[in-house]
Amino acid sequence: MSVWLRLHGHALGDALRRMAAQPLGAAFSVLVLAVAIALPVIAAVALRSAGALTSGVETDPHVNVYLTLDATDADVKRIESALRSNPQTASVRFISREDALAELKSSTHLAEVLASLDRNPLPHAFTVRVRADDVAKLTAAREAWAKLPAVDQVVADFEWSQRLRGWIRFGDRVMAVIAVVLGAAVTFIVGHLIRLQVVSRREEIEVSQLVGATASDVRRPFLYHGLLQGAAAGAVALVLGWAATAWLGAELIALTPAYATELKVVFLSRERIWLVLGLCAFLGLAGAWWAVGRELRQFSPSGRNP
Amino acid sequence: MIRFSAVAKRYPGGLEALRGVTAQVAEGEMVAVTGRSGAGKSTLLKLAAGIERATSGSVVVHGQNVGALGETALAVLRRRIGFVFQDHKLLFDRNAFENVALPLRVAGFARDEAGRRVRAALDKVGLLAREKANPVALSGGEQQRLCIARAIVNRPSILIADEPTGNLDADYAAAIVDLFASFNQVGVTVMMSTHDEASLGRLGCRRIALDAGRVAGEAQPA
Repeated sequence: MSVWLRLHGHALGDALRRMAAQPLGAAFSVLVLAVAIALPVIAAVALRSAGALTSGVETDPHVNVYLTLDATDADVKRIESALRSNPQTASVRFISREDALAELKSSTHLAEVLASLDRNPLPHAFTVRVRADDVAKLTAAREAWAKLPAVDQVVADFEWSQRLRGWIRFGDRVMAVIAVVLGAAVTFIVGHLIRLQVVSRREEIEVSQLVGATASDVRRPFLYHGLLQGAAAGAVALVLGWAATAWLGAELIALTPAYATELKVVFLSRERIWLVLGLCAFLGLAGAWWAVGRELRQFSPSGRNP
Repeated sequence: MIRFSAVAKRYPGGLEALRGVTAQVAEGEMVAVTGRSGAGKSTLLKLAAGIERATSGSVVVHGQNVGALGETALAVLRRRIGFVFQDHKLLFDRNAFENVALPLRVAGFARDEAGRRVRAALDKVGLLAREKANPVALSGGEQQRLCIARAIVNRPSILIADEPTGNLDADYAAAIVDLFASFNQVGVTVMMSTHDEASLGRLGCRRIALDAGRVAGEAQPA
């Protein structure tokens, strides 16, 4: 085995031994960190669940143009041409009245009611995806299309969709802010815990340096300690987050029959779980690096900073 | 092997421990540094071991200018030098074996090889039977020998000892001096400070006398 690997093995073993030597203290430290990390984890689960809930909802700005019930195929072609020629139009999708009825039957609990009707009550419609978010331009386009012959109604629901997108963006940013603030807290907490260890092991560090330990040799076990502490805290935080969201999810599922859309809690993806673990380990490492570097500067054996 | 050229050392606070010291210790030589308390003996030894850095002048060890070395290179140099501290610097939360093993652990030795070397070093100083003992349970003389075992466990080419016979009774002091003489006989360069005349007489080596941070004289063995 190479010396490099052996030194890392010693450092890892040293860090594990020190954690095992004070199990209660180590567990409390990890728990404090885990509680801090669990908050953004829960927030991320809430946002992911909200994202899943709204994934089927059209949030891009668009306008629905409903034709009169007696609109002919010629009317459909003429109106489609008028819609496509507008500079605000990005794309046009035609939904025939037959397709609309089939979609309504499949997506709601109204199949029996619809089947009992002697004729299709739904009109032909166009869904027009528009280019701009400019409300004034979209309003002008809506008014122009409403005046076309055989057009019964123009519904522009871009305002609420914009608002929804805005809220989702806001949620993302709130989560990012919480994650950054609590990430910094984790770094400082780990840093402080490691700093206390460095201070309590000052004599050992000093002797090690006197017999030839480099700054890296001294730093290594503390870095492993910070890394392990961060990773363990991340794992516990994920368990806490999972338990909390599972509990909340059970309540949410109880509400589901009241709505047409299924409500459910969606936990983090496997990639996100690894990301949380990796990030927590990194924050622990960063906190340890900061703390050890700061302490080592104060007692270098030859009077120079390591 | 060790060369001091116009070395001065001023500590923060203004204490001038050394003032223009020029001296040399040849490879395989044994040298005693003498002088009263505060003469600068410990500082000179620490400069040779790379534990302190000179304020001015140069200290060359193994052909390397200690003052020009970076921290990592200096730490690596310290691994090649055994140092016996006046205050022992033993770790009291570890047993004798673990204390001696510390330099090997730092250097990344394999467990088996480290175990062999530690036991050989403890055997050399007569403490093999006490390998599990905590340093607190050892006498002053035993602690001193434990410190020597730690200094030689890396098989250094230079052994530096700061007052290794201080506070020891005559018999213990004689045993320690003989131990250093035995290391020197197998080619290890030994540099030790002492103000114990009995030890000096027993060593019978060249002396560098310091006084108020300056070389006051040198004496060859009779």
